[in-house]
Amino acid sequence: MSETPKTDKPKKELSKAQMLSKKITEDYMNEAFRAHELGKLIGYTTAISPVEIFVAHDIVPIYPENHAVANLTAKKGIQLCSVTENLGYTSHLCAYARSDLGYRETGITVTKGIPEPDLFLACNAQCFTLTKWFQVLARKGNLPVFVFDTPEYIMDKKAREEIIKYCVLQLKELISFLEEITKKKFDYDRLKEVMKYSAESSILYKRFLDMAQYKPSPISIFDALIGMAIAVYRRGTPECVEYYKTLCDEFQEKADKGIGVLPKDKEKYRLYWENLPVWFKFSDHAKLLGSYGGVILTSLYVHAWSFEFDLNKDPLLTLAENYVSRFSNSTLEDRADMAMDLFKRYSMNGMIMFMNRSCKAVSFAVPTLKDVLVKRTGIPALVFESDMGDQRFYSETQIRTRIEAYFETLDRLQHKV
Amino acid sequence: MWDNLSLKEVVEYTKDPFPSIRKWAKEKGKKVVGSTIADVPEEVIYAFGFLPVTLVGTDKPLKKAPSRLPDNACSLARSNLELVLSYEGDLFDGFVLPQVCDTTQHLSDIWRISFPDKYVECFLAPRQVDRPSARYWVKEEIERLIESMGKWTGIGITDNDLKNAISLYNENKRLLKEIYDIKKKNPETITNREFFSLVKLSMQVDKEEFNKSLKKIKDSLAPKKGDGYLDIVLAGITCDPPEVYGLFDEIKLNIVADTLVTGSRYLDGIVPDNGNPIDALADRHMNRNFFSPIHDNVYRNFEEIKALYKENNAKAVIYIHIEFCESQEYDLPDLKKMIRKEGIPMHVLDTEYQTLSLSHLRTRLQAFFESLKGGSL
Repeated sequence: MSETPKTDKPKKELSKAQMLSKKITEDYMNEAFRAHELGKLIGYTTAISPVEIFVAHDIVPIYPENHAVANLTAKKGIQLCSVTENLGYTSHLCAYARSDLGYRETGITVTKGIPEPDLFLACNAQCFTLTKWFQVLARKGNLPVFVFDTPEYIMDKKAREEIIKYCVLQLKELISFLEEITKKKFDYDRLKEVMKYSAESSILYKRFLDMAQYKPSPISIFDALIGMAIAVYRRGTPECVEYYKTLCDEFQEKADKGIGVLPKDKEKYRLYWENLPVWFKFSDHAKLLGSYGGVILTSLYVHAWSFEFDLNKDPLLTLAENYVSRFSNSTLEDRADMAMDLFKRYSMNGMIMFMNRSCKAVSFAVPTLKDVLVKRTGIPALVFESDMGDQRFYSETQIRTRIEAYFETLDRLQHKV
Repeated sequence: MWDNLSLKEVVEYTKDPFPSIRKWAKEKGKKVVGSTIADVPEEVIYAFGFLPVTLVGTDKPLKKAPSRLPDNACSLARSNLELVLSYEGDLFDGFVLPQVCDTTQHLSDIWRISFPDKYVECFLAPRQVDRPSARYWVKEEIERLIESMGKWTGIGITDNDLKNAISLYNENKRLLKEIYDIKKKNPETITNREFFSLVKLSMQVDKEEFNKSLKKIKDSLAPKKGDGYLDIVLAGITCDPPEVYGLFDEIKLNIVADTLVTGSRYLDGIVPDNGNPIDALADRHMNRNFFSPIHDNVYRNFEEIKALYKENNAKAVIYIHIEFCESQEYDLPDLKKMIRKEGIPMHVLDTEYQTLSLSHLRTRLQAFFESLKGGSL
């Protein structure tokens, strides 16, 4: 996601957006590695967290998840996870966490690695795992951890108002926590400026994801997964806005010219994907599905960063409202509604529900969500179990057979119609 | 029904309390509200006139839960879901389910969708406790629960209703603590299994009745020290199936302190019975000891176990790991390292709710304590 793993494939010419992404990432990592020299601290945080507060306070955010993705995509999962398991951690914990703890032990990485943390911010709107993983890392250096506790955004209106109040209260505590560590007063005007960038880039990011509405779709989930990286780690900056403007222009041009991931006559199945991807099978899955006329268009996961910040509101209020209501912190009923909205807007006619052993926060909803979505859409679902990063839990033949059988079912249904 | 039980009967009831709860509820015309662990303020449920029952899994086979929660989900969560989906669901008029981790968050959603005709409310416990906002939030949640139950039942409760419930529940905890004190010093008097059955049954049956049994049992105890007992600290969240306590009894281990939600963490939840009862319940929540999913101080678990070991002059720590409890699994490797660094012998027992055979646990426990006795003791 953040740092592209090395491959032996011949180099393709990069698009303007890709070059920009590369430059932003390099500048970001260079700054991160020089943070202390620049008088800044490194804050490890979760991909879904009110990072705008870090940016406004000159804390360089680092996402161990992104680094884990680079290693897992490059198939380092078994090697790194095994090291962690030898330390006494069980094999069914999150592969991001296991590969990261393995990296801490061995230094093995396909990138330049990530700088060591000074503090942690764990937001449980994403998951509880990150909190526990950060606690493990914090113990290594006796470092401070701030848990931004976001209770489930339950469907009761009054309860939601109370939840927001609790979250705003905590954001104030977070600011005091950072002020105490950095001995520097927090600048609310700076936060307002950061919020402007974050709001603008979020709208553009959503526009980019919504390119999936076109037929044929110029964007697949694989484009979205690559394209979301900057939203994850550079939101709140002008370069993030610039990147998404460029990216939107590129994909809009494709859409205007009718260029799809698959040619219009080959695009038979427009698919929904539930969960994170199987990172080490990223391109294989795209090719395999493409051979059946299938394109995965989207998932709730990639939409997690399409925030709708209201700049007319107090920044802490709009931050709280947005972060607490992510799909990963929403009820099953609300998740189903969010997915249904995507089904309608993107005209999808198939769904792949991935039971990801690594990600309990997303996967434990899958069996029930699948039932609800199948009932509401009338579309059959393909369910398969594996792991997003640990190849030991991936059965090639079994999954391939299931995908083939699923497309046969969809074909049969289409012919009936 | 529960006011004149012998220790033997308590052990039997604890193994499967539901037939007696069913019978009692029918006879008394009372409604039953179930909760999973931990930290639901059961005094509120009682004040509304319901019987609060804490659900702590079943040893009956899994049939429906695996299709909702996969096999890498916490064994207790799956077992509780099975308990209501296949076996006892109809007994309950409603549920109040605490959310303390990803699994319990999902469990609460799955439960609500599985029982569309029943009252299913969640208790959103703060998953941090070291900042003022946590105290604010837990009070909000207690008030929300009162309002929600009020809407459901169409009745309200007064401060006095709540104070009476608190008083009854406090009395229960005081009695249990007194019995625990006798047991700690006189292990021959009451077995581990008997004592922890008293605690567990207290969490599941009517306290007004059961307190009478507790008084009688306490008064009937003739303290006996016995020989050859080894004092231990039991750490973890729950300890099941109850036969595990039987194993401790078999090899003469005496639990002198524990950190269990179905043990001291429950007993220490005595609520100050003066002032505003909601504030008192919120204070109780904040003062409770370590519970892995909600405590953000990463050293607190270690510090509490070490203190219990030293204060009680124990000889070892046994940690009960619930299979697939993610929270425990992130804590354990470092906890083991820290405890062993202090020179404290520690043994981890892996438990699963549907396990019926304990022979592997017995062998491991025996080996650990034989080596311990042959070593420094």
